Amino acid sequence: MTLSTEIREKARELLASGQVRTVIGYEEGLRGRTRPAFVTDVDDVERLVWNRACTHNLTTYLPGRLRPPHQSNGAGPDERVAIVAKPCDSRAINVHLAEQRYTRDQLHIIGVACAGIVEGAGESRPEKDGPLQARCQACTERTPVIYDTLIGEAPPVTEVADPVGEKMAELEAMTPAGRMEFWLGHFDRCLRCYACRQVCPACNCPTCLYERDDSLWTGMAIRLQEKRAFHLGRAYHLAGRCIGCDECERVCPVNIPISLLNRCLSAELERSYGFRAGEAPVPSPVTTMLSGEEG
Amino acid sequence: MMFEPRIIGFLCTWCSYTGADLAGTSRLQSPWNLRAVRVPCSGRVSPELIMRAFDEGADGVLVLGCHIGECHYDNGNHRTAKRMPPLHALLAFAGLEPERLRLDWVSASEGERFARIVSEFTEAVRELGPCRWRRAGPALPRPELAPAPAERGG
Amino acid sequence: MKIISQGALTELLDQVAREKRLIAPVEEAGTIRYRPVGGSGEIAFDFARPLLSIKEAFFPPTETLLTIARNGGQVTLQEVMPEEEQVIFGVRPCDARGVKALDAVFSGERVPPDPYYGRRRQQTTLIGLACREMGETCFCTSVGGAPDEAGNVDLMLTEVEDGYAVEAITSRGESLLQGMTLTDVTGAPSPPRLNDPVPVPAAGAWAEQFEDAFWAALGERCLSCRLCAYVCPTCRCFDVRDEPLPAGQTQPDPQTQYLERVRCWDSCTGANYRRVAGGHNPRAEEGERLRNRFFCKFDFYPQQYGPLACTGCGRCIDVCPVNVDVTEVLAAVAAMVPVKIPEEVSA
Repeated sequence: MTLSTEIREKARELLASGQVRTVIGYEEGLRGRTRPAFVTDVDDVERLVWNRACTHNLTTYLPGRLRPPHQSNGAGPDERVAIVAKPCDSRAINVHLAEQRYTRDQLHIIGVACAGIVEGAGESRPEKDGPLQARCQACTERTPVIYDTLIGEAPPVTEVADPVGEKMAELEAMTPAGRMEFWLGHFDRCLRCYACRQVCPACNCPTCLYERDDSLWTGMAIRLQEKRAFHLGRAYHLAGRCIGCDECERVCPVNIPISLLNRCLSAELERSYGFRAGEAPVPSPVTTMLSGEEG
Repeated sequence: MMFEPRIIGFLCTWCSYTGADLAGTSRLQSPWNLRAVRVPCSGRVSPELIMRAFDEGADGVLVLGCHIGECHYDNGNHRTAKRMPPLHALLAFAGLEPERLRLDWVSASEGERFARIVSEFTEAVRELGPCRWRRAGPALPRPELAPAPAERGG
Repeated sequence: MKIISQGALTELLDQVAREKRLIAPVEEAGTIRYRPVGGSGEIAFDFARPLLSIKEAFFPPTETLLTIARNGGQVTLQEVMPEEEQVIFGVRPCDARGVKALDAVFSGERVPPDPYYGRRRQQTTLIGLACREMGETCFCTSVGGAPDEAGNVDLMLTEVEDGYAVEAITSRGESLLQGMTLTDVTGAPSPPRLNDPVPVPAAGAWAEQFEDAFWAALGERCLSCRLCAYVCPTCRCFDVRDEPLPAGQTQPDPQTQYLERVRCWDSCTGANYRRVAGGHNPRAEEGERLRNRFFCKFDFYPQQYGPLACTGCGRCIDVCPVNVDVTEVLAAVAAMVPVKIPEEVSA
């Protein structure tokens, strides 16, 4: 039985028994593009697929769909959902749980053992056997850290490369002025389309600080200083919360290397606190009190 | 002409601001470059505030809070202690010289310590020269304010 | 047909770049953008379709409308009008059609004219470049356009064996060609390769499908980013705000507050776009926002102004992170209604 078939069977079981109202997974869209799928009907489970182009971090949809009843604006459309989660995606679930976006019992996590997603996934007809995305080349996780059902067997970790880490080292070797030029060059192209923010599972403020009507933290203009404020501010807000899916970088239309900003902060937290986001449902160390790390 | 850095100092009401007052009343010399912004607690100093200060043209930002264990609000300064290293790392990564941002602890009775830290910091920033962080937008014309209308009545 | 050689064209473009602002397709970090260039050497002549349309040359992502000086009750305003003359090279027919759609909104008879858009439009010459074939996501022919449609530019170029077939469409185009050596050749450029058409339901037929469950289902995966609107040649939502002029520039009078009135791109797909004071949001759901965007393109705009507001360029299909595909939407709506390709689709 292929992994796609296993996922469909599980989805069928969960929907038919009424355990969940919606299964969030992947489907084949137009032009050979894999895309998120929301299945509520048992007859529709055949849409669900699993392949090496399943790049989307589906957990980004969870806070919106699963608003817990204790929140004043009422529950989301679903009380309980099933979600197909890769190892990286599953860590985002822990981040959500730590922040009480929803409760554990509202999810049935269909974890998938993953050997990596290919470059070009999400865009038209990626080479299904092509090179892995940069984040996947460095990844040694093969099974989700949290799941209810596990689909597939953990493939062995063969070779590990870290193109992002290499780029980080290059930047760290530059002077401050060199780094500033690097980043300003990239931010200049930014359109403030907010695709990076919208695709991110950890970005779910009702009103983004950088989109306030009163321009409190940065102006509205699509200009260099404002764009830098948005990117650096967003990166800071993700400290200890970003799980490194790098979807932000994938969706950026102008190829800004956003993953480097997030990696800067995750490396700093690993260095200072030995902390890695999403390994357990605990909050980011930046938001807690000191406990022995004084100085 | 010597470069006079513009330093924004976030001083917490209960400790460092009072320490600054003490430095003043003790007639201790410290550079005038520091523009003091009084906050209830150093924990109020959010990263956005610091980034905004640099965006508006500060050459240096100094955040002074109570010593750990002495915060008037118990653990407000814990938050500051935890926030600053990641912010420092991020700003340095984006091209800001790390010496332009400093976090330190000054109690209400440490007037001398206040004066010393401010002097040290000002000189360190002076040595770096004007900060190139701020990116001005396009040069725009400033309209002349129209002359005031004539007074009505007699 | 009249032919201009590649060499003569680069000469012409270099000359334009010396006298005016020349905007042309440029390679930039793995994408193609329309950017101002200093000379023909910077131009990426071999391009399909730049990431953004030429809309930004008339309606830029950010522009200052006014600067304001304010001291208590005294307020002085100063307009900031665009000054430069521009020539845009490499305008694809879909983009040219897009500018026509914006004309109706920004400078048409029905509305007070937008002087900023109007001034830029007046000061811009368009050099079109026909497409030899339709791209994978292109469907211009289904919305009344064509890969070699020449009507909306000043000068039209079509690639041929020894250079470009050139046709002056307006007197501006004529004057561009002054002094240029053109060769007269019999024949015409070979027709472009077309894609299969997609069904486009007529405006007026969409209203019945407003309540259909299709829109909520479509919206489930929408991220509410703004990519589709920003890359679109006809999307034109904007936001206007007064913000303080940047600090640090000399302030002649400390008592006076200096502000700029800035206008920026916005999008109806954004979650809070329609949120009103008081907190109510009539388009709180993604599906409602997507529905609005498609209705605006294919129903509201045509009913107000005549032509469709979609030029079939396919950019939105390319950039959407979750594969919301306008052709899929059109096919779905066409299945809901009897398809009537509108008779009058061109302005």
